[in-house]
Amino acid sequence: MGSRLLAALSMCAMALALAYALTVGVFSIYIPIELRPLAKILVTSAYNESTPLFSSMTPEIVTAVVWDYRGIDTFFEVAVFYVAIVATAALFRGIERSAPRTSVGLSTIVRTVTRIVALMIVVVGSAIILHGHLTPGGGFQGGATIAVAVALALVAYGLAKLVEHRIDYETSLKVRSLGLLGLSLSACIALIAALILNTNAYVFQNQPKTYAPIGLPYAVDGVLISGTVLLLNIFDGIAVAAGFALLLILLSQPEDVARERVLSSEGGE
Amino acid sequence: MLFLELVLCLVAALVSLVGTYLAIVEKDLLKAVVFSALQSTAYAFIYYLLMAPDIALVYIPVAVGLYPLLLVIAIRKCGRFEEV
Repeated sequence: MGSRLLAALSMCAMALALAYALTVGVFSIYIPIELRPLAKILVTSAYNESTPLFSSMTPEIVTAVVWDYRGIDTFFEVAVFYVAIVATAALFRGIERSAPRTSVGLSTIVRTVTRIVALMIVVVGSAIILHGHLTPGGGFQGGATIAVAVALALVAYGLAKLVEHRIDYETSLKVRSLGLLGLSLSACIALIAALILNTNAYVFQNQPKTYAPIGLPYAVDGVLISGTVLLLNIFDGIAVAAGFALLLILLSQPEDVARERVLSSEGGE
Repeated sequence: MLFLELVLCLVAALVSLVGTYLAIVEKDLLKAVVFSALQSTAYAFIYYLLMAPDIALVYIPVAVGLYPLLLVIAIRKCGRFEEV
């Protein structure tokens, strides 16, 4: 234990020396006062009512980049996450049919506190999702926050109690598919409208562009909704929360049940 | 004001360094997960201090909530102590 502590202390000393050198000593730290050209473009065009053809009408620049300027990139990031969940579901195939045993969960104090805290976590997660185009946050952040509430409930109450309240494999799979469907539809909503009205539009189009006059309204009755960004955030949040819930429900199955089910689905090995 | 933020960053970085080291050398994997979560907490502070609240918001639930829980479930399935 002594040598371990010594090693940790010496690493701390090294980090301290490095940090000192970086901030005040050898290399003087460079903090830019002037914006770089790319940042200038983003700051002037992310929300600018005087140039609607070049603006995404989203005051939160990170969300504007994620869901408007680089929408296709985000689509593939989302796809990577769903492929990971599909892979887990394939690994645990057959488990959804297994009925969980009765589980006692933790003590009354923990369960009562969890009941209060889980509700607050869901509210905060929803706020992060719904304000994603105005303040830092968005679909993935809020969805992950809501999934923490499911995780807490899973630990405090046990899997059987959650299944009793219909938070199980089937429900989370259905909700996740619903979120994915909504995500695809809101990515193509301008395209669908253009096909009906016989004009041009792009996939992931938000505001009207030069040769694509279809666009979603960025404000409804004076409330800023930033067109498709709000829709994409909501559906992404739903899909991410349900995806994480699915992952946790699958992984929290007891090991012997999981082994039995997976082996029996292989054809009686 | 900037100096104060840098000092806070420094403290958080030191805490994360100790947490990472202890997580690596610890043979009790459950304790290693706790040390790893300590490192994640320090990183979340650094993200906030470096004015990246978007990253901090995604980092807190994933790295402090979901990731340790998944690791704890994995440890429950595989055994608690690392065999040399």
